[in-house]
Amino acid sequence: MYSIIVVPPPTTENERHRPQHRLAPGERLTFGRSARDNDLCIAHDGVSRKAGEIGAQGVFWTLSNLCSHQTYVVENPEGAGEHIKVGPGRLDAPVPFEFSRIVLPAAGDLLAVEVWAPRHDYLRTEGGPDGDTTAPAFSVDRSKRYFAVLAALCEPRLRGAPHAPLPTVDQVVDRLRPGWPGASRTSVQWNIDYLAVKLRLKPGPETAESGPRLNGKKESLVSLALRFDLVREDDLVVLTEPSGRIAR
Amino acid sequence: MTEPYAVPVPKGYRVGGWEVRGPIATGAFGSVYEGRRTGADESLPRTVALKFLPTGTGTPRQLTHLRELVDREIELHRRLRRPHLIRMYETLTVDDPGRPGLDGATVLVLEKAEGSLSALLATRPRPDGGPVLLAQVCEGLAQLHRAGWVHGDLKPANVLLMKDGSARLADFNMAAELEGTHAYTPAFSTPDYTPPELLWAEIGERGRRIRPSADVWAFGVLAHLVLTGSFPLPGGTPTARRDAAVAYARGTDELRLSPELPDAWREIVRGCLTRTYADRFGTEALLRRVEAAAGTSRSRRLPRLLARPVRPSRPLLVLGASAATVAVAALGYGISVWAGAAATDNGTDNRTTATATTATTATAYGASELRTDRGIPSAYRLLIVETAHDCDQGDVTPPLIAAMLKAESNFDPDLSDPAKDEYGIARWTPSVLRWWMHEDGTPGESVPEPPFPPAESIPAMGRYLCWIAPRLDSSLPGDRRVLIAAAYRTSYAKVNDAAGVPPKYRDYAGRVAHYLKEYTPPGRK
Repeated sequence: MYSIIVVPPPTTENERHRPQHRLAPGERLTFGRSARDNDLCIAHDGVSRKAGEIGAQGVFWTLSNLCSHQTYVVENPEGAGEHIKVGPGRLDAPVPFEFSRIVLPAAGDLLAVEVWAPRHDYLRTEGGPDGDTTAPAFSVDRSKRYFAVLAALCEPRLRGAPHAPLPTVDQVVDRLRPGWPGASRTSVQWNIDYLAVKLRLKPGPETAESGPRLNGKKESLVSLALRFDLVREDDLVVLTEPSGRIAR
Repeated sequence: MTEPYAVPVPKGYRVGGWEVRGPIATGAFGSVYEGRRTGADESLPRTVALKFLPTGTGTPRQLTHLRELVDREIELHRRLRRPHLIRMYETLTVDDPGRPGLDGATVLVLEKAEGSLSALLATRPRPDGGPVLLAQVCEGLAQLHRAGWVHGDLKPANVLLMKDGSARLADFNMAAELEGTHAYTPAFSTPDYTPPELLWAEIGERGRRIRPSADVWAFGVLAHLVLTGSFPLPGGTPTARRDAAVAYARGTDELRLSPELPDAWREIVRGCLTRTYADRFGTEALLRRVEAAAGTSRSRRLPRLLARPVRPSRPLLVLGASAATVAVAALGYGISVWAGAAATDNGTDNRTTATATTATTATAYGASELRTDRGIPSAYRLLIVETAHDCDQGDVTPPLIAAMLKAESNFDPDLSDPAKDEYGIARWTPSVLRWWMHEDGTPGESVPEPPFPPAESIPAMGRYLCWIAPRLDSSLPGDRRVLIAAAYRTSYAKVNDAAGVPPKYRDYAGRVAHYLKEYTPPGRK
């Protein structure tokens, strides 16, 4: 029942599979240099022993800056420079972004802790925001990169070929590059992985031994998106519109 | 709500033998109008409710999921007719190329109600008769659950009130037929009535897994709302109430029900709104309590209730949980002599009644399916039999599970084989058990650590076998049960590739086959 995911800065050992800390509403996660005092140890000499605390509220989260002299910046990587500053000693500052990057200044380096809030709700055209309307269990932000990636994956089948093979990651990159110059294999891949989290895709038993297989994941995402009309034919305009946002 | 009608239909419009009158209501998926009969067929009522669902190709928003939702509703109406479920008379398709917005729409011709519970709740002061109404809603749920269906979207707007004051359930777009202990429904729900375990549940390709206990949670919310006028969980917005539900389910918050709630109902609502689905009242236990609290008579109906013995669907629950549920289970099995006498009003529902099982003691549990004189430890009989029953695959039988446990561990619950990384009565490998350990099909958060007690090992084994069974090529020669056992040892793909039991596992398969024969009562497969 988690609502927030914290991804620590990459280290040389875990660069490919970064661990994720999942927090349920009400749970807190402390971070800092000291492994003994924190839930998440950031082994860098420039980081305070007890640097901060992340608290999962409902679908959003709060940041406490426990450092005595440095300001932390929380960036919205898809927000065209949008950011908030959390000064030293500030407790429980609310952060509203779906994606966030906490930038910790550390002796000349900038360390980034990522925080995802995949449960954000969005207004649907079908009904108002009341708890009495039967609503789909998914809520997607059509202005986000992940939506463009999902649309690109669904495109061949939405264009009328129900059994068309899915585009490869490279094809998705090519399709999105005109509107998103920074698109790369890694960033598209990242968004596919995020979509699986966001749409709460049930991992298949075939992932048990060999680790997640991307093909199955793409296939499941597309069938889910089409079955529940998360992407419709008129949504394909997101593939051609220049986004004008900073690349992730 | 003053939202525009999902499907606008002009007054006086003709469809089939019906003429459209005024609008009644509109929902997320379609719109309902009053219809007047123009045809001469006296067997149909004079006025009905016409539910228009925009399934045509020219509708502004083409929704592929709508077809699935419409099919669900029609399927349920075709298969089930019960006193407390709204009735469907026919379905029609609009053929009117001149009106692209209507052309191709599906029209459900339904029994017309006087109003809905949500309209009644909006009136002030709160009307009397809440308890009686709730008893009828609960009876409707029980009728649905006994027939093997889950409603999936119980809320005031979907409870209709008839002219004679009775209540009926309606709107079966999310309804699903149970497969074993759960069903698959589309990933839609109404937040205020959704149990916490489904709020952020994982969703597989067939949709979301749901159990009858989801309807029981929704009934608890509904009862609290009807009797006190407020939601049971605190908060001014659906989002706040959802967060409160999550906090409650996680155990960080207590349930604080309205002091207005009478004591008998307090206990009922608590029994519906438990943190986990496994602790919730079963539908029959709920119905008995609700009828007692509402003062509605029950004795008249008792024989019919028992027409279909209630099967304890969760062995773990029966072993460890509330007395109420155990009582229901025992009742179902103990009084099955009434089954033959009263199985008359099953309507179009043709699910077979469970086989009469007269034995209730552990040593003879499921004796008609599993021999009692071949050394199967009686402590595991209930688990073995019920695990097999939870699977809808005919080849996953009690003797198969028993034979495999014998071959795997000789029924040793403490087996520990670190060299092979296998533990417990079913020789589970921890990294594999992770994928089958939860009843709802979600994998464990992390790889579990032994010991794996039989109450976990055996149901997990059943789930895995049930998953394997349909994946084995139907053309493979040999006893399918033995093939399933071999696939449990290796994998279904290896068995398919080898076109039978791979040589390495012939010895194991031979032992399973031997015990299968041993444990199967004479005269059964």
